[in-house]
Amino acid sequence: MIKTDVIIIGGGATGCGIARDLALRGIPHCLIEKGDFAAGATGACHGLLHSGGRYVVSDPHSAKECYDENIILRRIGEKCVEQTGGLFVRLPGDSKLYRDRFLKSCEKIGIPAEIISSTKALDLVPNLNPDIEEAVKVPDCSIDPFRLCMLNIISSQKRDGIIFTRHKVTEIIKEHGRCVGVKAADQVSGELREIHGNVIINATGAWSHLVAQLAGNEVPLTLSKGSLVITNHRLTNMVINRMRPSADGDIIVPNEAVCLAGTTSLAVEDPDKIRIESQEVDTIISEAGRMIPHFNDTRIIRAFSGVRPLLKSAKADSREITRGFQIFNHGDGMYSIVGGKLTTFRLMAEKTVDTVMDYFKLKKPCETADIPLEGQEELSGYPLAKRLADMKNIVCECELVSRAEVERIIKQTGTRYVGDISHRTRLGMGPCQGGFCTFRALGIMHEKSIISPEQSMNALRDFLQRRFRGIRFCLWGDQLREEQLVEYIYMGILALEKK
Amino acid sequence: MGLIQHDVIIIGAGVAGLTAGSILVEKGYNVALIAKGEPTACLSTGCIDICSLDHDPLHGVSHLPDEHPYHLVSRAVIRESIEKFKESMVQMGFPYTGSPESNRYVLSALGTFKTTCLVPSTMAAAPQDEKDDLHIITFSGLKDFYPSYITARRKNASFSTYDASASTTMGLATNFEREDFLEKFLSWLEKLNIQEGKIAFPAVLGLESAATITQKIEERLRCKVFEIPTIPPSMPGRRLFNALKDYFRKKGGMIYWSWPVSGVEKTKKIIEAVTTPSEGRPKSLNAKVFILASGSFVGGGLTARRDTIVENIFNLPVFVPGQRDNWFDSDYFSLNHGIGKAGIIVDSSFRPKEADWENVFVCGGILAHTDVLKNGCGHGMALATGYAVAASCMGYIK
Repeated sequence: MIKTDVIIIGGGATGCGIARDLALRGIPHCLIEKGDFAAGATGACHGLLHSGGRYVVSDPHSAKECYDENIILRRIGEKCVEQTGGLFVRLPGDSKLYRDRFLKSCEKIGIPAEIISSTKALDLVPNLNPDIEEAVKVPDCSIDPFRLCMLNIISSQKRDGIIFTRHKVTEIIKEHGRCVGVKAADQVSGELREIHGNVIINATGAWSHLVAQLAGNEVPLTLSKGSLVITNHRLTNMVINRMRPSADGDIIVPNEAVCLAGTTSLAVEDPDKIRIESQEVDTIISEAGRMIPHFNDTRIIRAFSGVRPLLKSAKADSREITRGFQIFNHGDGMYSIVGGKLTTFRLMAEKTVDTVMDYFKLKKPCETADIPLEGQEELSGYPLAKRLADMKNIVCECELVSRAEVERIIKQTGTRYVGDISHRTRLGMGPCQGGFCTFRALGIMHEKSIISPEQSMNALRDFLQRRFRGIRFCLWGDQLREEQLVEYIYMGILALEKK
Repeated sequence: MGLIQHDVIIIGAGVAGLTAGSILVEKGYNVALIAKGEPTACLSTGCIDICSLDHDPLHGVSHLPDEHPYHLVSRAVIRESIEKFKESMVQMGFPYTGSPESNRYVLSALGTFKTTCLVPSTMAAAPQDEKDDLHIITFSGLKDFYPSYITARRKNASFSTYDASASTTMGLATNFEREDFLEKFLSWLEKLNIQEGKIAFPAVLGLESAATITQKIEERLRCKVFEIPTIPPSMPGRRLFNALKDYFRKKGGMIYWSWPVSGVEKTKKIIEAVTTPSEGRPKSLNAKVFILASGSFVGGGLTARRDTIVENIFNLPVFVPGQRDNWFDSDYFSLNHGIGKAGIIVDSSFRPKEADWENVFVCGGILAHTDVLKNGCGHGMALATGYAVAASCMGYIK
């Protein structure tokens, strides 16, 4: 049995941020995540570090929070934030009145917003639709959500934080009406761990109502599905937004070698049963294509959905629900942190830890906004020169991941999941979506005796099924060709059975 | 109007196109083959799958749905096309084993059995059941082969690793073509003192001389040797392509490489020429007959758009398996993806249905309703339809 002060459930940006904050304030803690870091909404978003512009008209309070956090993250996460800048482009027919309200509100909140002509906008982003009326420049940035989680976790690990990924909380132990610990099942071995603590923080996003239920608590939540598509290359170096009230497909974010475009917004019931539909993909492409026409003929390599955990509201359209957050004190030692955005994760963590400090009657103030994220140098992307140095032993040709790099991650994390390697190296994230390299990565994993070859066969099947869910609705043009080749490799050459 | 008048122009250098071409050349026709690049045959295992639905492939063919293009050819034609293929491969020093009377297995790189019909002689000794003792040879750093996938399934298999300082199948195959490398390798192999009855290799035993290299290893070690097909780039696939291509040229056929078709010249019912872009003005090639053997999606004969599927050379009508949502089944492994049926529907003489052209014939993977993976008919169907199309063309030219 493990004893600690604070148990954090959930390894998304919020949970990881809380772990870092607790670590910096010297509070012993243990974080439990059922998958890998950033497995929920954190990893299934644009990776947009909002300037606040998106919410400036509909929700000025959230917009202000976004802008303040945008400044803080640019400061503390210099190496993991790409300061792309963003444009809100107004297309013919988009309301000028909305633009005026946008500018007025930006001014009031203090978000720098500069009107630029369409000529100037096209100079900045040559792929833009030449028909745009004008654009407003804002300090949007892009951020890698997975790396962000990892960087927060480094601070925790350096200060003896206990981290369990691939562990699912199955039970919350209560004594005399108070939460005193959790039981968590190792998702690989099935082994149960018991962890005791004084406070339990439920930072499980779209699953928080389900985790709260384990302790007999309730969290009022509205779940909203948002879908995104990923292009094969970068069509813009700036974040592109549509100058209009939030609607489908109005954001395009450059991230590393690709662009992400989205989103949609549909109410859902079960966060584990979401699926993307081809109509959503078409909508996103044609809407994004209005801002960057090249979108219509570019190769889409994958589509995915995430679930936004929004505070429950009577509003029927989930776009109108506030992006603000709230901490629920369930009165039994459990706190749930709900709502918010990736951009405001640090603030959410700060407020949550403040609450915990009050409970412990401790005074140490939050330092997460002042101390730069630790470990950025090592985790700051993976420069091309470094990748090309070992050309002979490239395992993933799309993303230039070498065998040595794969072996290093296996050694470091002891992982049994190809996905964990992908997150840390970009293996399998390119156009073939792991079609070639997964066979290799699993081969290396059982060469290193991390998994048995039987397990690797199951993992291969599981991977292909999962991969297919991501690409199924983007299959036309070159991506369909690639898919047919991959199908031939596994069914025709390798004769992989269904099981 | 181009300067050169051919009898037949074939578009596509895959198994179907080269098969049709060789037959026509042998019958004395003036044939040119044009290709944008290398065919998908280079990516294949090199094995000829006729139909994997039944142990007897020809019996399997009779189970295929009525619309399957196999039903456009008789059993006799399938047999003839196979015989013809085997003869030509013997001539090219790359003999095949097997007969259309029964299917056989090759061992896959995952240790599973792949059903096929004809195999290159380098795979003839592949085990047909779980019984054979195997010793697998792998090469350090080779990224596309992991023997533990196989040893996990076969209790009586073990492996050794040779350091050949090459990490790709192509690099290794090139090494094996060198006598000094082979000698050094053989003496290492002899010292291993292998007890198992069969030695397995990833398919890297040379490029041109694979059959002889395999034989040489067998003679020196006095045991059976076989290759295991790898993921692309696949040496057996490339050997097959080279053999078919060289055979076609040896018989007098001409191949224009990097010749993407950019346009066609036509009159009401006749295609007169195909054109390709070049410096100054387009080049064109005239012919009496055009054979479309440009393959399916991977080969580049068909292109899927967001809402439809088009044929890239003549813009022939394409059978589209419904809306995009129906192109794929939600279960990846079902092999029931509608997209496998996409292609060109032809009449009994392999002319595209509902098209204006009377001198265009279609064969191979671009045909509709093939479902190649589901039915296990890759290459076999290309051989049979390529063979049959040659006959149709001759009938038309007369």
